[in-house]
Amino acid sequence: MTKPSLKFTRRTVQIGVAAAFVAIPILNRWRIDKVYGNFLSFSAAGVPLADPLAALQVTVTGWVWPRDLWIGAAIALVLALGLGAVFCSWVCPFGLLSEWMFELGQRVLPQKYEGWKTRSNGFPLKAGIFSLGLLAVVFFFGSPVLSHLSMPGWYSRIFQMWFLQQHVSLAIGLILLVLLAEFLARNRFWCRYICPQAFLLTVAKLADPYRLQVGFHQEKCTCHKGYDPCQEACSLALNPKTLANIWETECNNCGDCVVVCKKMGQALTLGFGAAAVRSRMMEKEGNKSQASPMSGEMDRGSKALQKEK
Amino acid sequence: MFRIRFLRPPGAGAEKDFLARCIQCGQCAQVCPYDSIVLGTGFSLTRSGTPLIYPRSVPCYLCMRCPEVCPSEALRPVPMQDVKMGKADLDRSLCFVYAEDVICRVCFELCPLKGRAVIHTSGIYPVITEHCVGCGVCEYVCPKRCITTIPAWFTT
Repeated sequence: MTKPSLKFTRRTVQIGVAAAFVAIPILNRWRIDKVYGNFLSFSAAGVPLADPLAALQVTVTGWVWPRDLWIGAAIALVLALGLGAVFCSWVCPFGLLSEWMFELGQRVLPQKYEGWKTRSNGFPLKAGIFSLGLLAVVFFFGSPVLSHLSMPGWYSRIFQMWFLQQHVSLAIGLILLVLLAEFLARNRFWCRYICPQAFLLTVAKLADPYRLQVGFHQEKCTCHKGYDPCQEACSLALNPKTLANIWETECNNCGDCVVVCKKMGQALTLGFGAAAVRSRMMEKEGNKSQASPMSGEMDRGSKALQKEK
Repeated sequence: MFRIRFLRPPGAGAEKDFLARCIQCGQCAQVCPYDSIVLGTGFSLTRSGTPLIYPRSVPCYLCMRCPEVCPSEALRPVPMQDVKMGKADLDRSLCFVYAEDVICRVCFELCPLKGRAVIHTSGIYPVITEHCVGCGVCEYVCPKRCITTIPAWFTT
């Protein structure tokens, strides 16, 4: 039996999570309530999980440190610290819908790939929305209203409303509207430019240089210049070949580029600390057998490190 | 149906504090064994998704499960006699006992704080005391619909 591809595994996890958040309110209805909550805050057999932004909002509005909420938020942040923003690509049900919308769009109304018009970096805009939103929460609303921008939150709340009180939430329309806009714009704009929930995960991930990330082994790359199947495969339109620069903040380790590259030169890998760590190790040990195939990457890694500093 | 008179679940503090802390995760509604708690709907940015109790539909039986699961301390665990959801108000002009000389003990018998929140004066006349926490059970069970629970957020 062949090993299932990374993308197959990821899709299975995503669909499983999306289905779980439909099933949970149904189970609660039958009084099976060891697992409850939504994407803002969740509890599985006593283990809390929470949206870090929800915890931060409660803390800044009431200046309180609710224990369970912060434990849950810390778990989410530590996950991002080690594995990058895998929540966005492996867990988030809106991410799944958004990716499907992108794939559907490419199939129904294909936009011809011409090295993707380079899109501006979404992180500063997201940071702006995050800080303005937080200021509005503190000085204007006085309650955690930024949670209304959480699309996975709405996804789970729709089913809570539906199964617990037979109420069809208008948030269905909101999600469909965003998906339609993404279908037309074909840039997954919500995930890249708006979602303030992902901001804290990105900050956590950037704090750890040894996190899981995509590495690029330049000398293995067999694609000629201007031909980037890896970037074509990336639903966020990032270029994995230049991931050492600013694009990396937006990469959420979905691994789609690695899957495509597997059939080509296998120049892309998903590994811990990818470029930076390995180059540093090689500098120390001077391992010749490893140094030669990775020399290109070594340069990239050390350059990236210098930039970060 | 939009109903304006709602109670907050037990363990909630002042309305402003409650709204500052509630993150609308709905865990209280999911564990409520009586389905007393419903999540607010509508377009209010601060109030939609927050837990509400409509005592005429399903009152709170003070099982005190929801404060235990609340992750953000919007609902805090307190003993059931210290809950401050509101206060029941009995309209004597409608009550069986006061107005029609019919013996009725329903509110007294079914009060979760039996013998404290509702007492009988002269053996039969129900009186709501200051120990009432406003769970809404008496309002729900009253055959004459003569009890109204005034929410705590309304009076303070």
